[in-house]
Amino acid sequence: MSFVSELTKGIIKENPIFVIVLGMCPTLATSTSVNNALGMGLAATFVLVCSNIFISLIKNITPDKIRIPVYVVVIAAFVSIVDMSMAAYVPALHKSLGIFIPLIVVNCIILGRAEAFANKNNVLNSIADGIGMGLGFTLALTVVATIREILGNGTWLNFKIMPSTYDPMLITLLAPGAFITLGFLMALMNILKEKK
Amino acid sequence: MKTYLQLGLILLAFCVVATALLAYVNTLTKPKIEALAIEEAQKAREGLIPNATFEEVNGALTYYIARDKTTNEIMGYTFTAAKNGYNGTVKTMAAIDKTFKLINIQVISQTETPGLGTNSTKPAFTDQFKGKNAEQLVVDKDGGVPPNAIKALTGATITSRAVTSSLKEQILLLQQDLQSNPDAVATKGGKP
Repeated sequence: MSFVSELTKGIIKENPIFVIVLGMCPTLATSTSVNNALGMGLAATFVLVCSNIFISLIKNITPDKIRIPVYVVVIAAFVSIVDMSMAAYVPALHKSLGIFIPLIVVNCIILGRAEAFANKNNVLNSIADGIGMGLGFTLALTVVATIREILGNGTWLNFKIMPSTYDPMLITLLAPGAFITLGFLMALMNILKEKK
Repeated sequence: MKTYLQLGLILLAFCVVATALLAYVNTLTKPKIEALAIEEAQKAREGLIPNATFEEVNGALTYYIARDKTTNEIMGYTFTAAKNGYNGTVKTMAAIDKTFKLINIQVISQTETPGLGTNSTKPAFTDQFKGKNAEQLVVDKDGGVPPNAIKALTGATITSRAVTSSLKEQILLLQQDLQSNPDAVATKGGKP
């Protein structure tokens, strides 16, 4: 597969949330507002690209039997380094993204892509895969968050867009609301796919 | 047997490298992170009592004495109070004047339910604490009548109770602590 198709496949065709259904935990937790969704999406994209590069580089020296623990160590170490460096050097960014960083360690998209892609492909393609999957994750989170924030809070990116008489549907901001929204969006994706 | 030993050693090598890297980054970043945390707490204190210098008291209780920048008179005290809410600890920074009435409070960290408990950070909730003394720190559902009590955010009052009772406990503890520490008590104008 070429660089470009590796890059674009994660956005719609193999979207990590709607199609592969990976990373549900951070999706539920951070899609309560568009602001959080963008923050989580971009932070995860960054870590995903870096871990893909790393795993792709060490794929020849990692024995097959212990690859999963090695990936976990690499990802956890990497995330901790990002977390500490951000806290020390860009405190403002860390304050808005800080709560998402520990969540990235347990984001199975990162481990999933390491296992399914980066340990079988070269560095360049792994970078493309990381960027594509990361953007697909960000996009999906933003769509879910848009629906939840508008219905649950009457705002979008903190701008009030619903009339003041609108009574927010609080359930969309809670965990069940995330599942309901996600279910409808996945159904929509399946309808579109079948039509093709 | 030999292969398993080999695998274990390889994994050990990865862990050693990762730990060494983390330890190194930690020594680089830790002092900066701590300095930033202190600075941030200082800013929060200045937001509660403007134009004051703060002096830390580290005894059985940790609090700060706020003195007027020009006259050096004691203006009040700031402290943090914490208690479990619905979904974790709710931490509040508060300032009281020398008669132990709250000047202002700020909820500095919480993980409460979005749309319900998270409203505790908004001025609509925190502003009602202004001017309250320890006896008035009761949630309306527990028998208080606003304005001499705190109007709860929701009917369940879990977050409101956490904030209110943690502040009340801290104020009473501080009052006790100050009785044994006459240096920190305001001498001019105002009872201890």
